Amino acid sequence: MKQGILTDILDHSHRADPYPLYAELRKTPVYHDGEGPYVVSTYHEIMALLHDPRLSSDQRNRTAGAADPLAEEDTGDSATLPPGFLKLDPPEHDRLRRITNRPFGPPHSPHRIESMRGDLDETVKNLIDDIAAGTSGNGEGTERIDLVDQFSYPFPVTMICRLLGVPREDEARFHVWADTLAASLDPDPTADQAERAKVTQDARMELGMYLAGLIEDRRKNPRDDMLSHLAAATGEESMSTMELLSTAALLLIAGHETTVNLITNGMLTLLRHPDVLQRLRSEPGLAVPLVEELLRYEPPVQLLPQRTPLVDIEIRGVTVPKGAAMWLVLAAGNRDPQRFENPDRFDPDRKDIQHLGLGSGIHSCFGAPLARLEAQKALSELARRLENPRLLEDPPPYRQNAVLRGPRHLMIACDGIRP
Amino acid sequence: MLRLVVDLNRCQGYAQCAFLAPDVFAMHGDEGLLYDPQAEAAQRERVAQAAAACPVQAILVEELEASDA
Repeated sequence: MKQGILTDILDHSHRADPYPLYAELRKTPVYHDGEGPYVVSTYHEIMALLHDPRLSSDQRNRTAGAADPLAEEDTGDSATLPPGFLKLDPPEHDRLRRITNRPFGPPHSPHRIESMRGDLDETVKNLIDDIAAGTSGNGEGTERIDLVDQFSYPFPVTMICRLLGVPREDEARFHVWADTLAASLDPDPTADQAERAKVTQDARMELGMYLAGLIEDRRKNPRDDMLSHLAAATGEESMSTMELLSTAALLLIAGHETTVNLITNGMLTLLRHPDVLQRLRSEPGLAVPLVEELLRYEPPVQLLPQRTPLVDIEIRGVTVPKGAAMWLVLAAGNRDPQRFENPDRFDPDRKDIQHLGLGSGIHSCFGAPLARLEAQKALSELARRLENPRLLEDPPPYRQNAVLRGPRHLMIACDGIRP
Repeated sequence: MLRLVVDLNRCQGYAQCAFLAPDVFAMHGDEGLLYDPQAEAAQRERVAQAAAACPVQAILVEELEASDA
């Protein structure tokens, strides 16, 4: 398929710095080369489309054969499960998201995330202690730390387990399934495809069976966790077991892959801006605006590839036909000079920071409050505890995935770890 | 003490503030926001998180002096 700039964006060789390509793309706010998707890259157009009810997130509204090189990149829910609310429109989307929100946030559960702060602090502390003690990683201590494998990766999975109510003794199994599913989002062109597909399918099956068992158990012996509350709901505001399974799988995948990249991109950005890292060390409160700027500057979800117009819509003089494939390039909108001053500058003091990093409108990131706390805590503690941290490789090796973009490893060294 | 003002014309009901500072901001139904316009100083950090996290930047926070003790 010949797609010019879109091929370049998907090409792994541009993964470390796709931003010059996005600048090129913004010259044509609604890019379409005749056969591929319609690609929107400017801030105001993306923001308007995120709030436009004429745009669907449901793949079933795509015209058969609408050309999209990302159409096969599944976001993780198995073909055997119904789509999660990420890939549904109102009213089904609203119903499932509302039910899922009941045990998660206000108005019904205003203290759920707040009550996780202790767990969050403890998990971050233990992971950094393990790095200090040399009990994680490859035995090279603080001379060679893989921040992805030893920190960014295990942290969000642990928090999702706590949120859903996965017992601690089962967390290790959960990590293995999460790793396998994450790898399936990151296609390795040299691997045996059939073997990989089988391993992924097996992990999905095992995870599904495990969650089904856990849901069954929580129905009988409810606790104060999300799965118990979701399983106990009755009447109109409840889910079928299949819906509950696909929602749990959605929370696991979406809440995990993205936060890993937010934390890793964050540390990479700080190590490239030592003055900001130094400030964060003495001013932990800076983590709050810093994470917002990070969501603008290096968003973990670079583009939304699954929007489809329900009718012909006109954007900046271009008619996008009903059923066509559309991409909204959030990371390009976040660097739009028509919207942000000095958009390529990382500036945690930026006051005007209505970024697109967590989306907007009805599909805006469900887990945003948890992701924010995780990233704020992780980055401020890494800044405080690592002595003289430095990058061993810049740029680091990136995952294949152009949508959920982030380093596969982030090798760093430091002189020691403060208590 | 902190003085809070929320521009309810801007507020879109994202509820990020109610997650991050649940003792100051509360949701009334799915979209309506209630808040304590004079929050305790002890809530400062959480209110700052809430203001920074508001996707439409609708929250203004002002420090009221001499009432901190």
